Amino acid sequence: MNIQKLNACMDILKKDLGDGFVASCIITTEDGQVLVATDHANIAEATLLNDATAFIRNALKTYPAELGNYYYIDVAGSMSVLVIPFGDFQWTVTVNKKLVKLGLLLNVVLPAIINAFEDAVVS
Amino acid sequence: MEGTAKRDLKLVQDGQKEGAPKSEAATRDELQRWPLFGLSVGSFLQVIAMEQQTCIMEVYHDADHWGQFCFVEGSLYDASCGALQGEEAAMEMIAWENVRLNIKQILNTSKVERKIEKNLMLLLMESTRRRDELKNGGPDGDMEDAEELDDIDDIEDLDVIADDVERAKLEACLNILAKDMGDALNTASISSIREGRIMASHKAPPQTAEAFLRLTHYLKNAFAANTSVHLGDHYIMDMKGGLTLVVLIFGEYQWCVVFDNTKCTLGLFRNVIMPKVVKTFNEMNL
Repeated sequence: MNIQKLNACMDILKKDLGDGFVASCIITTEDGQVLVATDHANIAEATLLNDATAFIRNALKTYPAELGNYYYIDVAGSMSVLVIPFGDFQWTVTVNKKLVKLGLLLNVVLPAIINAFEDAVVS
Repeated sequence: MEGTAKRDLKLVQDGQKEGAPKSEAATRDELQRWPLFGLSVGSFLQVIAMEQQTCIMEVYHDADHWGQFCFVEGSLYDASCGALQGEEAAMEMIAWENVRLNIKQILNTSKVERKIEKNLMLLLMESTRRRDELKNGGPDGDMEDAEELDDIDDIEDLDVIADDVERAKLEACLNILAKDMGDALNTASISSIREGRIMASHKAPPQTAEAFLRLTHYLKNAFAANTSVHLGDHYIMDMKGGLTLVVLIFGEYQWCVVFDNTKCTLGLFRNVIMPKVVKTFNEMNL
C-alpha cells in the first residue's frame, strides 16, 4: 500500500466535498485499527461501523444478497455517514448533508475515491 | 346533472343525456343508461384505479342519491354528489351498495382540476371506519355501544381488532408503494421497532426484515453509546445485482424497501416515492 497515495485520497475527498466535508478515516476491518484519519474523525464511530458492516453482511445473507459498494446512514441533525467497505479496509466519510447533495456524493465523489483507493492499495 | 364536477371538468362526451333517472319510471332506456348494476361502489373504484382508467364513473343509488367520480389515469381527481363536492362527495358515495353505474370517457383532461388529494385506498379505509362507527352508534358511542363493549369481556379481543386495523392500513401503504414502483419494487416490509415484529410485507423474507430490525436497534444503541450523534430517519444500502435497500424509520415503525436501481433510481425513490410514502403514512394516523 502506498501511504502517500492514501493521503492523496483524503485530499481528493476534501477537495471534492468542499465545505460539506466533516471528517474521514480508513480502518482495517480485521482489528479496527486506523490507517488514516483526518482532524475531527470519530474513531469510535468508525470502529462501530466496522462491526455494523459485519452485521449487515450477515443480515443480507437472509435475503439472500451481498453488500455492494457502500452504505449511507442518515444521522439526526446535519450529518450523514457514507461507509465504503473495501474487503480488508473500510473507509468512513462524514459529511454535512445540508451542504453535500447525495447525488454528488454517490455519483461523483464515490467513484473517484474508490478508484484512488484501489490505486493506493495496489501501488 | 348540474354538479361542480360537470361544470369544472367538462367531461361528458358520449352523447348521452345528463341527469339521474327517476326511480318511479325506470324505463328500459333508463336501465340501458345504467348498464352496470348490483355492485358496490368501493369495489368498482378499485378496478378503475387498478386499470389506470381516465373516465367519469356515474353512480345511481336512488332518485335522491346519485353522483359521479372523475378519474385521470387511475387517480381519483374529483367527485360530486348533490351539494357535496370533492372528498366529502366521494366518502358519501363509497359507502353505497347495490348501485347502478355508468362509465363515460373523458376526451380532454387538460382542464380537469384535481380536488381530491387523498389516495383512493385511504378514502376507502376511512369510509369503512365511518361505517363501522355508524354501526356502533357513533364515535363517542352510546348506551347500546357500551353494552356491546361490555359483551366483549376479554380485552385481548379489542387488541386483536385494533391490531387488524393497523395491519390493514400498513398493507394498504405497501399496496400504494407496489403500485407506484411497479416491477422496480423487489420487496418491502413494515415492522414495529418497539415490538420487534413484522406488521406487513410485500414478498419480503421475514428473516431479512427481522435482521434489519436488529440492525436498527444495533445502530441506535451503538450511536447513542459511543458517539454524540443519533441515528436519523433512514439508511441506504447498495447491494450487488443492481439492488438498493432503503430503511425508513417513522417513529415506532420501520420500512424496509428493496428495489431494482436500474428500473428506479435512488433519486426517483428519494424525491418522488419517499415523500409520497411519508405523506400516505402520516395520513394513516397510526
